[in-house]
Amino acid sequence: MIENFLAGSAALFGDPFTIGIFVFGVVGGMLFGAIPGVSMLTLAAILLPFTASLEPAQGVMLFAVIYCTGTYGGAITAILFNIPGSAENAPTAFDGYPMTQKGQSGKAVGAAVLCSAIGGIASALVMMAATEPLANWAIRNIGPPEIFALVFFGLVVASSVGARTIWKGWMSVLIGLLIATIGQDPVGGINRYNFGMTDLAAGIAFIPAVLGFFAVSEIFVQAEKKASGKYQAPKVSMTFPSFIELWMHKIAVLRSILVGFFCGILPGIGATLAAFMSYGEAVRWSKNPEEFGKGKLEGVISAETANNAATGAAMIPLLALGLPGGALTAMMVAVFQMHDLQPGPLVFMLSPDLIWIVFAAMFYANLSILIIGVLETKTILNLLKIPFQFLAPLILMLATTGAYIGRGLVLDVMVMFLAGIIGYLLRRSGFSIPAIVLGLILGKIGEQNFAQGMQMVHYDLGTYLSRPICAILIAAGVITLASNIYRAFTSIKTKA
Amino acid sequence: MGRLTLSNLIEAAIFLLIAGIFYAFSFEFNQPIEIYIFGATAWPRVVIGFLLLATLGNLWFHYRYGNATQATLGQSEDKADFSEAGTVRRMIAVLLTPFIFAYLLKPIGIYFSAPFFIAAIIWFFGERRWKVILIMTLFIYCVFIGLFLMILNAPLPQGNVSPFYDFSAWVLKLNAKLQGI
Repeated sequence: MIENFLAGSAALFGDPFTIGIFVFGVVGGMLFGAIPGVSMLTLAAILLPFTASLEPAQGVMLFAVIYCTGTYGGAITAILFNIPGSAENAPTAFDGYPMTQKGQSGKAVGAAVLCSAIGGIASALVMMAATEPLANWAIRNIGPPEIFALVFFGLVVASSVGARTIWKGWMSVLIGLLIATIGQDPVGGINRYNFGMTDLAAGIAFIPAVLGFFAVSEIFVQAEKKASGKYQAPKVSMTFPSFIELWMHKIAVLRSILVGFFCGILPGIGATLAAFMSYGEAVRWSKNPEEFGKGKLEGVISAETANNAATGAAMIPLLALGLPGGALTAMMVAVFQMHDLQPGPLVFMLSPDLIWIVFAAMFYANLSILIIGVLETKTILNLLKIPFQFLAPLILMLATTGAYIGRGLVLDVMVMFLAGIIGYLLRRSGFSIPAIVLGLILGKIGEQNFAQGMQMVHYDLGTYLSRPICAILIAAGVITLASNIYRAFTSIKTKA
Repeated sequence: MGRLTLSNLIEAAIFLLIAGIFYAFSFEFNQPIEIYIFGATAWPRVVIGFLLLATLGNLWFHYRYGNATQATLGQSEDKADFSEAGTVRRMIAVLLTPFIFAYLLKPIGIYFSAPFFIAAIIWFFGERRWKVILIMTLFIYCVFIGLFLMILNAPLPQGNVSPFYDFSAWVLKLNAKLQGI
């Protein structure tokens, strides 16, 4: 493992252009995560079409780096503006924002820097040790029925993220699945839902849809806040937490790394589940649980350690099984596909260099959070002062170009803006955008593997479910669904 | 009507309409596949069936509990506020502007339409100082042209109607001259 890691490091730092991409990913992920109104997903969606002109290793590495640093960057908006950069930063806002209101934003951001780096580095080390053995095991034991079962499990988990009710969570997933049926069916190549438009025969392009649902809809949400006078500038302070303060939370950090890593492996919403579970555990183990939600440093530490610990773990299902664990890893599948590669067990045999460059880059990206985070947080905080009315047109122009140049179709720009409007309306009605995007990306994978699995077992459902891993995953999905329903109906919050 | 509101009913009607349209159009490709007995319609129809169930479940939930929320992970607490007519008007303008821009890309091209689009977005986001709008529009336009035309040489829509097409051709010629191509 150490030899491979050193070889990956040498490849990463041996080429000036690759170093440039790495630095761009580190700074870009932090910046986009930290700018209110946009997130690492916005940057990733904008960059997606341009990765076609990069080497496969450079493209995948860029996204992996953005994933690490963007997850940290999202904490800054959560702490300063109460706007989580992505769903996994939501629990950070529970205590981070009250700390900002108390004039302790520097302390909260400092804790986020340190804990994100610790969680990420620990996770990267375990990822390097565990992914290849898991991929080798997967080659022998994972077939289409198991992949379909994993997709099912992932969709069940995704349905419980981000929506206001469990019904809306499922409607979001199903809309994503329905959009994925547009274009040719994956078995017979029959055209579906092209509505007489030849451009739709190839389906809805993933890039314009993702740009629309994430970047454009976020611009519309911020526009609405500007229009209704709800947009607020943050109070910024630069007092970092002391070493003693952080040492006092060592148990919380260790617990959060464990929770983060195990949740991160689950396809669907690993990092989000990790952050929420870790925050919940911090409350449960605390002697003063009533202090949480009012500006307690441990709340920020628990959430930020866990969500970064989940980033390395989330790469395991992606690289070992070819299954994305969230919106950004779903975009990474698209990067692989652009270069005629398929993430999954075979990639370890066909492109081992690529894998180890990505692993090394993730390790150094987490290390960079610590170094750049401490040195440059003040600069990042000053950049937050750029008025959003000047960022919005720049982001929209980047998105327009990104949507157009993929296939050279104005239709794709229209699709992007339509997805933006639909995404905006759905978000404001309590639907979940990550669930829609996961439905969109997992839909084709799920259908194809279901069909292949049924052909393998000669359409005998008994044989299908007698495969142990498949049965366990389907049962886990059903149990998760049941527990989600139970939890949802025992926690209904009726409005006055 | 229980605790149902008009917006709940509109939401349900839209989803039922989507399910209905997709079901109706599924007959257009309802043909057998030799190697797969379920055919091309099975998967979309199962999805439509579940979407129908979820929509009815959502409607029942609103009927029973009104606009209550359930404990799902990562849900946003902040909600839309359309109590003022001015906000609604501005939001309609913000939502329509990119669409008009996208519609005009084919005839007019991006090189001519982009500055107007940039200025409109800055204005809709609340900036009213025309000098600032002008300077920032020029700055963003230059960043955009510099990045995509001069550095990346990206093929962008040039328009197909004169004199807009001629303008795009002039920009491209200028870029070629500057780069010594």
